[in-house]
Amino acid sequence: MDDLYREHILDHYAHPRNRGRLEAPDIIADADDPSCGDQVHIEIALDPEGRIAQVAFEGEGCIVSMASASIFTEHIKGKSLEELASLTEEEVLAMLDAPVGSNRRRCALTPLTALRAGLRTYPKNPSSDG
Amino acid sequence: MKLDIERVRADFPILLRQIHDKPLIFLDSAASSQKPLPVLQAMEAAYRQCYANVHRGVYTLSEEATCSYEAARDKVASFINARAREEVIFTRNTTEAINLVAYTWGRANIGPGDRILLTEMEHHSNIVPWQVLAQERGAELVYLPVTDDGRLQMDRLDDLLDERVKLVAVTMMSNVLGTITPVREIVRRAHAIGAVVLVDGAQGVPHLPVDVQDIGCDFLAFSGHKMCGPSGIGVLYGREALLEGMPPFLGGGDMIRRVELHRSTWNDLPWKFEAGTPAIVEGIGLGAAVDYLEGLGMEAVAAHERETVAYALERLAALPGMRILGPPAEARGGVVAFTFRDIHPHDLAHLLDLEGIAVRAGHHCAQPLHKRLGLVATTRASFYLYNTPQEADRLAEALEKAARILGKAG
Repeated sequence: MDDLYREHILDHYAHPRNRGRLEAPDIIADADDPSCGDQVHIEIALDPEGRIAQVAFEGEGCIVSMASASIFTEHIKGKSLEELASLTEEEVLAMLDAPVGSNRRRCALTPLTALRAGLRTYPKNPSSDG
Repeated sequence: MKLDIERVRADFPILLRQIHDKPLIFLDSAASSQKPLPVLQAMEAAYRQCYANVHRGVYTLSEEATCSYEAARDKVASFINARAREEVIFTRNTTEAINLVAYTWGRANIGPGDRILLTEMEHHSNIVPWQVLAQERGAELVYLPVTDDGRLQMDRLDDLLDERVKLVAVTMMSNVLGTITPVREIVRRAHAIGAVVLVDGAQGVPHLPVDVQDIGCDFLAFSGHKMCGPSGIGVLYGREALLEGMPPFLGGGDMIRRVELHRSTWNDLPWKFEAGTPAIVEGIGLGAAVDYLEGLGMEAVAAHERETVAYALERLAALPGMRILGPPAEARGGVVAFTFRDIHPHDLAHLLDLEGIAVRAGHHCAQPLHKRLGLVATTRASFYLYNTPQEADRLAEALEKAARILGKAG
């Protein structure tokens, strides 16, 4: 039996961690999927050593994409940019601790898609349009 | 005559499948329908007993394959009441049929400043080919708007139909709203100003009795795979005089009469538009699908769907938080798209799948329509001749269950 919609997934959806915006983000990362309307916007502030000091996200979408964004932001705190850049899809799916079938991979990986897009533009100044 | 639903269901072997240990309830026929035994058997027999390339060989097998393939054309011509078999061009699907018209008739007849009139409820396949053409030719697209309850604003039609409009391209039935459009009336008014009319029959032809002479359209495009036939085969009906005047679409074998090093002459209709080896067995399968539907009677198919959808609409509308798109039952076909509470369509489709229910989630290739309705995505249940009111009950129950499961999140 598929139990993607486990308690902790529903909890992250209902009570997202790190929801909001940052005062002075160093990295701004966006992804959207016009086919289903999922949107994830992630802001990251680095500490002097270049590690993730603060992270926040906003977004709209299905339970899987939103819970994934919440869990993802919890996991990446304290990581270095190199660690972020080498994050794999399988590692992100493992963070979810729930069975994500091939039909929902794209939803679950939306935050990673956003992050990768954000890292491509770093270290240029982040745009402020969100 | 009323459909014998149990007999119809017995014709579709896939309906015996269990999905997640539940009986399959297939509610995505608007995307692609399931196939009855006579279609599967006709295709298997074609491969096993009389397969060869068509239109060329003098040997027995090739002649048999050619006869079966061309017989399918006769069946399709009769199914839509075309005047002649020459008016039935086999394509890959509806999309290719529409592109054929855009690339041949369109390039020859649409110029700078001309207008192409579409509607806000069109599928992407009846928008994008015209955007490509309009960009290339300097023409302009204009759209007949839809009402909030998902009908065409027919009172705006005459304003939009001015002498600049050279083509009207309109669906016979919306793949999102289910709305059955007044194509006959649209054709009449468009012809009055001299415009050519293409009807997108992808949703209409599988579900309604269709008579191209009665509708009066110049072109009709539809797909085999949505009407119990295989994928890879579709139809462009065109009025013979228009088809005769059009340049060919794809060049290659079969579409030529004589080829010289620097020029060629074209084959007769319908083969002028059928370059290369066609989808032979798929064509034969489409012929079998037409036989199957005619055996049941399209009036009976349409009546069964009306009844089933009317029941489903009533059942679904009673669920708290349900918003059903589109008009009431009497103005629609087998498509029911909806939003339910604040549940994202992907989550809903996922949870319904766990109950064995196949529905579609997304924009259903109609992004402009969703934007018009203020939505990004919807969940769509589409009913066909093998669906039952009991399945609508199961859908409603599964939606309630999904709401309970996700209620924990809210």
